[in-house]
Amino acid sequence: MDRRVVITSGALITPIGDSKETIVENLHNGVSGVKPLREDDLLSDYIHSRVYGTVDYPIEYDFARKYRKTMGPVSYYACRVVGELLAKAGLDREFISSGRLGVAFGSTHGSPSVQRKIYRTFFHQDSSDSGSGGIGAVDYLKSMVHTTAVNITKMFNITGRVISSSTACTTSSQSIGYGYEMVKYGMQDAMVCGGADEYDTTTVAVFDNLLACSTAYNDRPHLTPRPFDADRDGLVVGEGAGAILLEEYEFAKNRGANIIGEVIGFSCNNNGGDLILPNLEGICQTIRLGLQSAGIGPQEVDFVSAHATATKMGDIIESQAIEKIYGNSPAVTALKSYMGHTMASCGAIETILTLYMMEKGFIAPTLNLEHVDSRCAGINHVRHLTYDPIHTAAVQNFAFGGVNTNLIVKAFSP
Amino acid sequence: MTREELQTEICSIFRRQFDIHDPGPDDDLQDMHGFDSIDAIELLIELEKVLDVSLSQETKKDAMLHIRTVNQICDYVQELMPRQQAPNQDALHQ
Repeated sequence: MDRRVVITSGALITPIGDSKETIVENLHNGVSGVKPLREDDLLSDYIHSRVYGTVDYPIEYDFARKYRKTMGPVSYYACRVVGELLAKAGLDREFISSGRLGVAFGSTHGSPSVQRKIYRTFFHQDSSDSGSGGIGAVDYLKSMVHTTAVNITKMFNITGRVISSSTACTTSSQSIGYGYEMVKYGMQDAMVCGGADEYDTTTVAVFDNLLACSTAYNDRPHLTPRPFDADRDGLVVGEGAGAILLEEYEFAKNRGANIIGEVIGFSCNNNGGDLILPNLEGICQTIRLGLQSAGIGPQEVDFVSAHATATKMGDIIESQAIEKIYGNSPAVTALKSYMGHTMASCGAIETILTLYMMEKGFIAPTLNLEHVDSRCAGINHVRHLTYDPIHTAAVQNFAFGGVNTNLIVKAFSP
Repeated sequence: MTREELQTEICSIFRRQFDIHDPGPDDDLQDMHGFDSIDAIELLIELEKVLDVSLSQETKKDAMLHIRTVNQICDYVQELMPRQQAPNQDALHQ
């Protein structure tokens, strides 16, 4: 049973804003959300990269304590975007708790700030924070890998399937993809999908130690990351959250939902080898599989949201893969150039930004792309704001562990 | 600490830690204020700090069965305190 899967709502927290109006305006005006790394009294003094994709505007939370008590910051983000998502979608309460609505949501590793508090007990054995040396009764619930997904189910009383991918940079693209498959194959009628990651310097330290972080623009944060640019010097870690609602088409139509796009294909594969290095054949294969899943040829894709983290090798391999499958036809933008790499949320954020551009009829350029690296030059880079329509888009994401995903989304047409 | 002082302190904990304001002394905390088992565990941890005592696992498990109202919490603490005169006495029986 193959069913059409439409997108009926989206919500975001990003370094360039949390409302559609602000985000679209910042994409239009080339505004970067990369700022100086915040001090954390632990790792920030030792990290070479001094930049971060920062959510530095106030966010209102009105969660009752019965919900707050099991949340770390990452779940605040997750529940905030899902609350907005469900309010916009207008699903009735009976359906939300019917078992036909599921949740596919994840984060890179639960709540690192809560984990950090737990780790402190190893070094401060005289802590009087609690009866067990500083470990709170609910710290596991706040820090476990599926904390975002189940705090969402609790807050909104969602009783359907729970999928909680935690595959670093492909976490939320997998969430959307697996949510799509749940609805497509009739296991659920709708899915809340997405990902979130809170401010976290341990992630920066990991990439910093791998020599993968940007360091040359510490005094000019808005000039990095620089995907595909000859002077790129690595990725910038960021924070944020993104959620989208997928519904079976007839169900959405019958309830009069506002349909903003359609997911027509998804692929996920593994490179089958190195856990870090990008792999041309693995990426080419996930692009092919995504197109095959959508039942379209490469010529039908007019926009590619590239994963493009601005690492030396990653951008080259991705450019080669896009060129090999698509040639230089589709417009290619690296949306991380606006906000850094928001890790678990990047797939959802980039999907929603693509839907915004689809709706508003423009394509944002890759920021800081001043001199295209000759090894990345075989594709159609978007270097200036254009008003070309997007009909069909591919959102590509790749993760440590050799995991690749490709989501194919299309402007809705009944 | 008198019963009245104890009740005031417990209500202060409820306000500060649990967003529960002025519960009636015989209110069923779970039914009327959403005070669940996780809250009960956190209350016991808070009581350990406030009363400067250390409770054994067995004591806590027993308490979980008997603290559904503020009055029951006061009863529990008043019963507990004489046993806690020697610091950490309870913990020694683990």
